[in-house]
Amino acid sequence: MPIVQKFSILVVLALATVHQQALAQQFEVTFDGRLVSTDARTSFLQGGLGKLRAGATGDGAELGRLRFAVNGPLGDSFRYVLDASAWSTDDTNPLDLTEAYIEWRPAPRNVWRSRVKAGAFYPALSLEHRAAGWTNPYFINSSALNTWVGEELRTVGLEYNLDWLGAQRNSPVEFGLTAAAFGWNDPAGVVVAFRGFALHDRQTPLFGRLRTFALAGPEQRVLFDEIDGRAGYYVGAQAKYSDRVLLRALHYDNRANPAVYDPNIDDYAWLTKFNSAGVRIETADDWTLIAQWLDGETYVGENSATGWNFDTKFLLLAKQFGRHRIAARYDRFATQQFRSAYPGPMTNDQGDARAVAWTFEPRPRLSITAEYLRVDSNYNVRSWLGENPLARESSVQLGVRYTFDGSAH
Amino acid sequence: MSFGSTPALADGLLVRIVTNQDKPLGGAVIEVRSLSEPRRPQAPVDAIMDQQGLAFLPEVLLVPVGSRIGFPNTDMVSHQVYSFSPTKRFQLPLYRGKPYPPVHFDVAGVVTVGCNIHDNMMGYVFISDAAYFGQTDQDGRWSLPALPPGRYSVSLWHWRLRNPAKLPTQELTVTGSTASTDLVFRLAETLKPQRAATPRAGWDSY
Repeated sequence: MPIVQKFSILVVLALATVHQQALAQQFEVTFDGRLVSTDARTSFLQGGLGKLRAGATGDGAELGRLRFAVNGPLGDSFRYVLDASAWSTDDTNPLDLTEAYIEWRPAPRNVWRSRVKAGAFYPALSLEHRAAGWTNPYFINSSALNTWVGEELRTVGLEYNLDWLGAQRNSPVEFGLTAAAFGWNDPAGVVVAFRGFALHDRQTPLFGRLRTFALAGPEQRVLFDEIDGRAGYYVGAQAKYSDRVLLRALHYDNRANPAVYDPNIDDYAWLTKFNSAGVRIETADDWTLIAQWLDGETYVGENSATGWNFDTKFLLLAKQFGRHRIAARYDRFATQQFRSAYPGPMTNDQGDARAVAWTFEPRPRLSITAEYLRVDSNYNVRSWLGENPLARESSVQLGVRYTFDGSAH
Repeated sequence: MSFGSTPALADGLLVRIVTNQDKPLGGAVIEVRSLSEPRRPQAPVDAIMDQQGLAFLPEVLLVPVGSRIGFPNTDMVSHQVYSFSPTKRFQLPLYRGKPYPPVHFDVAGVVTVGCNIHDNMMGYVFISDAAYFGQTDQDGRWSLPALPPGRYSVSLWHWRLRNPAKLPTQELTVTGSTASTDLVFRLAETLKPQRAATPRAGWDSY
């Protein structure tokens, strides 16, 4: 593992130990456990072509996530965030970071505010994972789109944000622009290319791996590594109306050189680019609507000789009734190989998914969620392995999330 | 909206505010200024704008000019309170509890207060140099038991008004003879929408 290369993360870790007089360091510990009943195929987490995480453990009780997070100020204008999780006993590291960064966020002096993030963190893309720890408060299992973000994407680098704080100037409209330069995300694309999209909640840890189906290369994939020495970038924009409507768009390009191979992780740099856009609308009578779309392509090999298109979208509708929340979501996803360095058939995976969930929050920081998820997919690679290419996989889950939080001086 | 002089026979005043859809507007600030006598602001006070459940409490704090306001943070999370309103610029670096002395508001006007960590936290400090002021209740009503004879201007402010530079104002003449005067403001414009309800702890982290 190129741990030394991940210098920015180490800087965060070092600074996190700095003692701050009179300023609180906040910590959170979240336990997320489930009861699962499923008819899913052998999960990608076991090297299969099933789309669900639940297929890895089968029926019964399961650890969803055990999360430890700390954050706090570093002087007047900086703060740090460290988020670490355990997902299962099969992980590379028993406890591993999903995010670790420092943010420079000086108090605004006028309607324009600059912010800079350095370290490892999520790009502002998901409208579903809005809660601390990049948690999805509506469902146990996320949309295909945001599942992929959690699996293969992480900004390890620098992100600059320019916000126009219109609400401070009596305007109902606010907007922001984002630009980032990053490294260590060269393998991004390999999982969606070989396996297609999946629907689950496991985020790939920064120093961990993602076990997945592989046509070539290892089953345990490293996603966060710098292979070709070329920085990637993304640019994005968002607009808000009265805190009720949020629009986001992002263009991402990891600018990888797909001819470069790294024997340490037995993988190439995958050239991955995508566009994404989404909207979240929250009405005065507690309805929430989220729609997101993502369309991209990924290439591997000399002259980008092998390439896939991938696209996905979903619509989510939720309604809050006091301490109860119900949510429904419909997903569509497709991954299609459109050119290959080798003769023979090309891969093609497409499908859709529907989910409904009911969440009860008896008190703050405690939630109980019951969820039904069904994924229908048609992946031609299954037939190459002697399986039926058509798969209907479903799961019924009952999850409990409890967060214990506190602060220390 | 009706402007102009309202004939009054009274020493009491009842102000009612309705939107352009005839719904009562609560939380509006009413200022009553004498047009015939020199400006006579109320005595300054010490006041508190708390931070609770990721919101400023109260959302609108109305004080006489010269008042001092403390901004304690009773949330578990740290806040960084700031304002770049021309009336008063200040910032209180990240804190919990009550580490800073009160802020002195020595100029009349409206100060929009924000939290640099939680952008959807918004509070408003209204600093008044008027002799009489108050806020409408949920029914959009505010009253004064006694107003000496004279000519007055009555103006209203609400954070949902789109043009704070041109506040709705009416003139009033008090003769000091009988009963109470009713003054009704019916807003001509559609208000800015309400902001989203207070977010849940930990939401909107991304």
